[in-house]
Amino acid sequence: MQRRHLLTAAGAAAMFPAILPRRGARAQGTTKASLRLKWLPQTQFAGFYLAKARGYYEAEGIDLTINPGGPNLLTENLVATGADTFGLSGGTDSVFAAREKNLPIVCIGVSHQQTPFVFVSRADGPIRTIQDFKGKTITTWYTGANSVLLGMLAKAGLKPGDFTMQPQQVSVTPFVDGQIDVVTATRYNEFYTLMTRMGRDKLRTFAPEEQGIVFPRDTLIVSETTARQKPELVKGFLRASMKGWREALKDQKAGVDVVMAAAPTLNRDHQEFMLVEAGKLMTAGAAARDGLFWIDQATVKSAHDFFLEHGVIKAPLDLAAAYDRSFLEAIAVADRRA
Amino acid sequence: MPVCAHPVPPWLLMGARFILGLVAAALLWEGAVIAFGIRPHILPRLSTILSAIAATPGAYWSGFLRTLLETLIGFAAGAIVGVLNGVMFFRAPVLRDLLFPIFVVSQTIPVIAFGALVVLWFGNTLLAKAVIAFYLTFFPVTVNTLLGLQSVDPRQTALLRSFGASGRQQMLRLQLPMALPQIFVALRLAASLSLVGAIVGEWFGDTTGLGVLLLQAMYNENVVGLWAAILCAAVLGTGFYALVAYAERRIVFWGAEQ
Repeated sequence: MQRRHLLTAAGAAAMFPAILPRRGARAQGTTKASLRLKWLPQTQFAGFYLAKARGYYEAEGIDLTINPGGPNLLTENLVATGADTFGLSGGTDSVFAAREKNLPIVCIGVSHQQTPFVFVSRADGPIRTIQDFKGKTITTWYTGANSVLLGMLAKAGLKPGDFTMQPQQVSVTPFVDGQIDVVTATRYNEFYTLMTRMGRDKLRTFAPEEQGIVFPRDTLIVSETTARQKPELVKGFLRASMKGWREALKDQKAGVDVVMAAAPTLNRDHQEFMLVEAGKLMTAGAAARDGLFWIDQATVKSAHDFFLEHGVIKAPLDLAAAYDRSFLEAIAVADRRA
Repeated sequence: MPVCAHPVPPWLLMGARFILGLVAAALLWEGAVIAFGIRPHILPRLSTILSAIAATPGAYWSGFLRTLLETLIGFAAGAIVGVLNGVMFFRAPVLRDLLFPIFVVSQTIPVIAFGALVVLWFGNTLLAKAVIAFYLTFFPVTVNTLLGLQSVDPRQTALLRSFGASGRQQMLRLQLPMALPQIFVALRLAASLSLVGAIVGEWFGDTTGLGVLLLQAMYNENVVGLWAAILCAAVLGTGFYALVAYAERRIVFWGAEQ
């Protein structure tokens, strides 16, 4: 009996290779590559999904796999180690942090030209201006947003001891229930949840831009090795991604459809809202003139100086090495504009 | 006294009781939410959750299958390696003294700490999840196999040896069968642990699986979706546990522990 049991188990073990995805090049002349997203599938990434579904990467000779991100993954690490070829990583903040730690990654494009999050208080509450944050409880993410908040409040003349700052959990429920006074919300995710649960007119927003702080996020990165050895692959990826994004922003139904096919349990209304908001963030600022994924060096520099001033990064970084827009510049400007 | 000509078979009776219990629990859930006016983002009605699953059955079904496969592979690998480890440690106490402490150390590291590493090593493959499930399962099986083997009456072993049984024969005819009740205790534990491993593995950037659905629902504050994924995971976990328990009852028919 025992032997039979073992045999069954051995049979199961022998089946393993058969169910593993097959690796190795399929078509000739195509390069296998992967894109690691910064988060779970949602329309924030619609253009990449659409470009893949419509075969734009294939047309550039790239057999691209889109790998979703998650709460426990750092895209910079995965790209630096070569586990993923391309990455849509946190933002200028995480690129600075990675470069400071000598991770060999290069930013080849910036997706969100403006700060994608705002700080939210109740419209009927006591907080009317940024000065009113004094003595209040604020929750935020300790992944860069905390520094932006500290910077904003410093400009408004508040010191760190004047308010209570706490790490923000997954849910915005503590804010909805009135347990905290100010919550951090991305324009496309948490803000939608707040709107549906409380109503837009019940919310007052404070954007970093109002305090003169711009904090570009959603950065496209590759490893230094890829940038050096496979510039054509990088350009092809950017060309295909832009094509996908231009079409997703124009035909938003197609953009939402392709993401809903990848993650059918998502809420369609929310995804439609998200694509509109993502589009606004992607075409804001310099991107209106210079096109999608444009790296505006002045904005990157001011974000860098801001982080340096607030001690988030300890020493100045070589921005020319960290942000390389030569791959973008290889594409005609008319093809870059959304 | 006339006896009922068609007595109800016991399995049917048990099944009927089980279904009755489920229906009662479902009614209690549905009723409590309505009666106490529980807000939907704390506990939605069961019917809402079921209709959410019915709205996109494909997503839940493919998630279920994918997680099931990861669980099964991790479980099978953990069971085989665990039993082999147990036998090896039993036969070679030197190896036990050498390796066992390392095993213990490996088990004190929370599995979540390994998740990111496993993705770096194995990518977004099924194997990556199976490895995490394996990591959680092999240790209890190792320990219990060793315990089971050590609890065999040495006089029985001596008797077999006096008949001229080789070490292999002693192991297969006496020691392993005697250890089976202990091994199955670990296997039942491993059935639950391997599901945990598979789901945690899916939290490190995958496209299908119950863990992915859980994560998506959690971060979108989709409470109904969260419960739907929990329900699917419960069905999977309970079903798998029941299967292992059933196998135990059939294989270890003499076993005292149930």
